[in-house]
Amino acid sequence: MLRFLVVLFVSAALPAAADECYSVDPAGGSVSFELRQAGSPFRGVFRRFGGELCVAQGRVARIDVWLEPASVETGLPEIDAALKAKEFFDVGNHPRIAFASASVRAQSVRQVARGTLDIKGKRRNVDVPFRLDESGGKSVVSGSFTLDRLDYGIGTGEWSDTRWLGAEVKVDFSAGLSRR
Amino acid sequence: MANLRNSTESYGIIAQAFHWLVAMLVLVQLGIGLYAANLPVSLARLQWLSHHKSLGLAILALVLLRLGWRELNPPPELPGSMPHWERRAALVTHRLFYLLLILAPLAGWLYASAAGLSVNWFGLFQVPDLISKDRELAELFKALHIGLVALLASLVAVHVGAALRHGLLLRDGVMHRMLPWKPRRND
Repeated sequence: MLRFLVVLFVSAALPAAADECYSVDPAGGSVSFELRQAGSPFRGVFRRFGGELCVAQGRVARIDVWLEPASVETGLPEIDAALKAKEFFDVGNHPRIAFASASVRAQSVRQVARGTLDIKGKRRNVDVPFRLDESGGKSVVSGSFTLDRLDYGIGTGEWSDTRWLGAEVKVDFSAGLSRR
Repeated sequence: MANLRNSTESYGIIAQAFHWLVAMLVLVQLGIGLYAANLPVSLARLQWLSHHKSLGLAILALVLLRLGWRELNPPPELPGSMPHWERRAALVTHRLFYLLLILAPLAGWLYASAAGLSVNWFGLFQVPDLISKDRELAELFKALHIGLVALLASLVAVHVGAALRHGLLLRDGVMHRMLPWKPRRND
């Protein structure tokens, strides 16, 4: 009897303890960036991205996301080609940009994922604030953060002149989550 | 070297200053535009095109001021010795000049706006975009900008040719109306 109760208790507790994971749905979502060129804002987007967000005990426990810099689109084909080259994203050698959270802390509706951002093999610890909202019966994760492109070697050589190409890059993201 | 205002014989100092300043800037602008447009994507292209955009807007502003001054201060009459068709031709080319000096930079501004490459005027202030980013419109305004500039460059050749004909062949004083020094009339 006792053994039965223990088994019952453990099996009932398990689903709650296990991560409930959702995939990041690129359809309808967006990852965009903005930086300054010659003193004016310049924007672009990444079309291919994905990842997963896991919830445990009612809280976001883990975020693992990636994007393919080869899917960059600025509306200017020549600029897109330059961004894929060695001086910028070097997509041949580094096809993926990844973020993996180490911890997630909640501050009311806003949450902050602290983790590692890996671009061109350069890893930096970053804080990414985000929020979860319900929209059309679906959970949507969104947020924005800024990074220094020179920390990751995005724009080497002559492009490291931050007077003409700003160092600070603002990244905005928003994507629906699908239960997996 | 005479008046600030135009006389019946000659352009005044202000009209002459506008003319030569705009002429010089347009030539510099053509040079920068041709050079930068043929550079590969590079820091040099970003810098030159940025100067090109600022300079283009400066020319547009100068031309508008110049037109205002021209309104207040009509140009000297062409000599009666000129055939009627030549006076018509001079009138038409000058109107076309002003039109192109406004439309060419405007098309460039529209191109920069549609391309998402907004202008920060010589690093001093942000210039508003005329339209929002649109790749197809950017291609359209790029072609329009180049076409208008080609027309403008042809017009410069016609204008310089006609001025030299007046100055060197006809020697009727028409070219010297726009020069700060006056030759001794040889009649």
